[in-house]
Amino acid sequence: MSAYSVNISVEAPVENQIQEITYDGQEIYTPPLTMSEHLTKLAQKIDFAKCGPEELNKEITEIDKNEDEAEQSTAPPLWPWDSVRNKLRNALTEVSVLADVLSIAKEKHYMVLDPVPQEPPELKPMVQVYARKKALAGAASVLLSGADRLKNLQAEALRNRTTPDFHIELLRLRQNFRLKKVSNSIVGDLSYRTAGSKFAQNGTFEVTKAEEDGDSPLSPPCSPNASLSNKPTSALRVTVPSELQGVAFIKVFFQKDQDSLTAAQLNLPSSSTANAIPDMYWQPKLEAAQNVLFCKELFNQLAKDAVQLQSPIPHIVVGNQIIASVLPGIQLVIGLCHSGVSTDGKTAVVPPSSNGHDHVLEHSLHQLLRELHHKNTHHPFPHPSSGPIGPSKRRRLAGPCAVDREELMQMTQSETMLEQVIKQAQHINLRDRTLFVLDRLAKDIKDPLITSHWNALNSPTQSCVKINIVAHMYDTICRTSLLIHVNETTLKCITRDGRVIHMSYESQELRDFIMCQVYLHQMTAVQNLAKCMGWQCLANSAQLGVGAVEPFGNASSCVLASPTGERLISVRCEPKSGVHVTIAQSPRKDFFPGQLVKERKWENLGGSFKEVRWDKMEGKNFLNKMELLMASLTSS
Amino acid sequence: MNEMGVTTNSAFLCLFTSASAFGSPIVQMAQQTVNTAIDSLSAALKSNIIPNQEYFLQGSILDSSVEVLLHRLRGLCDNVDTTLETFHDHEMCFSIRGPNNAQPALQLRVRRSLDHNGMPMQLRYIGQPEIGDKSRPTVLRNSIDIGTSNTVVEFLTELGCRKDFEYLAKGYMFRKGRMKITVFKVFKIDETRKMSGGAFESLTALTHSYLVELSVLAPSGQDAIADDMRCFAEQLRPLVQLEKIDYKRLVHGP
Repeated sequence: MSAYSVNISVEAPVENQIQEITYDGQEIYTPPLTMSEHLTKLAQKIDFAKCGPEELNKEITEIDKNEDEAEQSTAPPLWPWDSVRNKLRNALTEVSVLADVLSIAKEKHYMVLDPVPQEPPELKPMVQVYARKKALAGAASVLLSGADRLKNLQAEALRNRTTPDFHIELLRLRQNFRLKKVSNSIVGDLSYRTAGSKFAQNGTFEVTKAEEDGDSPLSPPCSPNASLSNKPTSALRVTVPSELQGVAFIKVFFQKDQDSLTAAQLNLPSSSTANAIPDMYWQPKLEAAQNVLFCKELFNQLAKDAVQLQSPIPHIVVGNQIIASVLPGIQLVIGLCHSGVSTDGKTAVVPPSSNGHDHVLEHSLHQLLRELHHKNTHHPFPHPSSGPIGPSKRRRLAGPCAVDREELMQMTQSETMLEQVIKQAQHINLRDRTLFVLDRLAKDIKDPLITSHWNALNSPTQSCVKINIVAHMYDTICRTSLLIHVNETTLKCITRDGRVIHMSYESQELRDFIMCQVYLHQMTAVQNLAKCMGWQCLANSAQLGVGAVEPFGNASSCVLASPTGERLISVRCEPKSGVHVTIAQSPRKDFFPGQLVKERKWENLGGSFKEVRWDKMEGKNFLNKMELLMASLTSS
Repeated sequence: MNEMGVTTNSAFLCLFTSASAFGSPIVQMAQQTVNTAIDSLSAALKSNIIPNQEYFLQGSILDSSVEVLLHRLRGLCDNVDTTLETFHDHEMCFSIRGPNNAQPALQLRVRRSLDHNGMPMQLRYIGQPEIGDKSRPTVLRNSIDIGTSNTVVEFLTELGCRKDFEYLAKGYMFRKGRMKITVFKVFKIDETRKMSGGAFESLTALTHSYLVELSVLAPSGQDAIADDMRCFAEQLRPLVQLEKIDYKRLVHGP
């Protein structure tokens, strides 16, 4: 770089004035002032008369004259310091006078300062009164004008109650939503980020002042008796991003197996109300936008789960619907309905069951997403406090308790939202089926009464029902109870004798089981009744191995003997074909001594059993009939 | 969160606690799986996910003003809807010297929670704090902590550590994102009146003030969090000044 450098010489410009230029071009400069000459020149410029502040006012007005005066000092001074000396001498005189006066005032030796009595000024009372009146009038006028202004403002505020102040509105908005001032505009946030959401979509809205001119033909201007317009106008306007406009909700319903999987778009039937009012009050507008964001996040999460989950029948995500199979033949459809969105061509297939959507499951979905948000923010605190924030209690205990790898892996797995919703849907389905079966049975079977009590408290995936089987009027004799736990896809039934039976979701299994229980009940009831009547139970068998094979369950039977032993009753209960009752008599009525059996004593062996025509028997129900039969056989 | 990190922590710990407390079969079992544990540990170290650095700011506030600070922290920190989280911890500091009385001694801290008895005790190593210059907003120090079973005190004593001192800390805990804020009072333990079962009957407070600490545990290299911490400390400014405190200057004070 040094090759390109150029030497530059710097010299000050010529300062001395040119006095004369000779004919041969030579310039003669005035010799520069010596130091003393320079000093005198500067000293002459000082004006010792101008040193006080009272002189400054005059100085400003006479600033031009000053320069003229300086130039017009006529005679050149005899001695350069003459004026300076004069001014200093004057100053000395003044200061000595001042010192004298001060010493007189202070010392009081030789001279004393004595005030001169002065005449008081002449009082003119009327002038004083007039002066005071004028002053008071001036003050009063100021106060009155201020009061008038305030009164006008208040009257105006009373009249214009419908258009409140922009700042009051802004304050109220700030109480509900977070606002921030970004350069010139006010920007707000309606997303759920602070509540724990990790959704990427932006939820910012902009707040502006509403226009002053009344372009809405609804409210006629300036008439105090005008009827209040139905839509309240507001001083501020809120601009919501376009993808969050309108109203959205999640729709959940069941559908039976359908062959066609059309790409149908779920649509709200009338979407015209969304864009009607531009100047709508901001609170419902912002709440609707927030709801749209929430529904979008929910649907997004569910769609992600649907794609990632591996289930035997894969879940389908089509357009704005997710179709998941709950049970074979039944599908759960979750759809996102957004009204403000402009839809393209192939739209408007409203599914047939549009009225029967499941509010409970929709609420569950909302709750599940809120739970997810809650888990994202509420991490448990470490105890002791020096631990890291983040791991759950089980994770913290995992180290010291030496849990193995499998348990650790299990800790990391958690149920997705879609799985949870499907479980709940399965449970709802199974519960409805069980309800239907029990009600049907209760309606069909009149003889022992079947009552079912469902538990009031249950979880979204489990309910319990207690079933009582009693005969009318004989509830103290015998009562059979069962407890059924309804889970998502299975039923667990616990009987009083401790048996636990697991059933699948097929409703026929439950029906068969309850029928068996009914007939067992009849048998137990008969035996208890016999005890009450004094009859003796000779034999009974719950699972009888004789007779025809039953399609489900086993026949049961018992043999009863009367108190005197003369009569026998045999009861056989078959789940398919009902009850058969036969009676026998101990000394045979129809004993005839024949060739082989000659003696009379053989009549005591007892006769054969004869069937009773049960439908002709008197009595309201089976037990009643049995009671009457026993009573009649006892007495005769 | 740091799933890998905690997994490796627990695997790492299994090697240690099993060595002391249990018999040989388990040690053999540990040796069988030693390849995978060390592999995963080295992988974790390489990928820089183990939080072994602590960014730290401290301050103190008088007893009379602590209520105001607590209200302010409740408003600033996360989870306003939950109740105030209190803690009551007992910390013991052990140190072990190398052979030939080598200086400096290795210091280890054991901390246990007195109000949550089921939680494991924490064994902690804290390195020398790096004060840094003006550009570094917080103190940075190495910090490794692991959960241990209740036998850790015996273990350390067996190793040869001696208990230097112990104290009780009782106060409140807050959290904002990754930052943890604790406001607590330090109590001295009166050894003569220690009740059976480890409970402490008489406590004397050391000062009439509360200690306020703001800390973040992070892997090395995440210095941006220090700026967030400084911004947060600014918000507590007139009540409590959270700043870097140099212990060496306190020790060699006038």
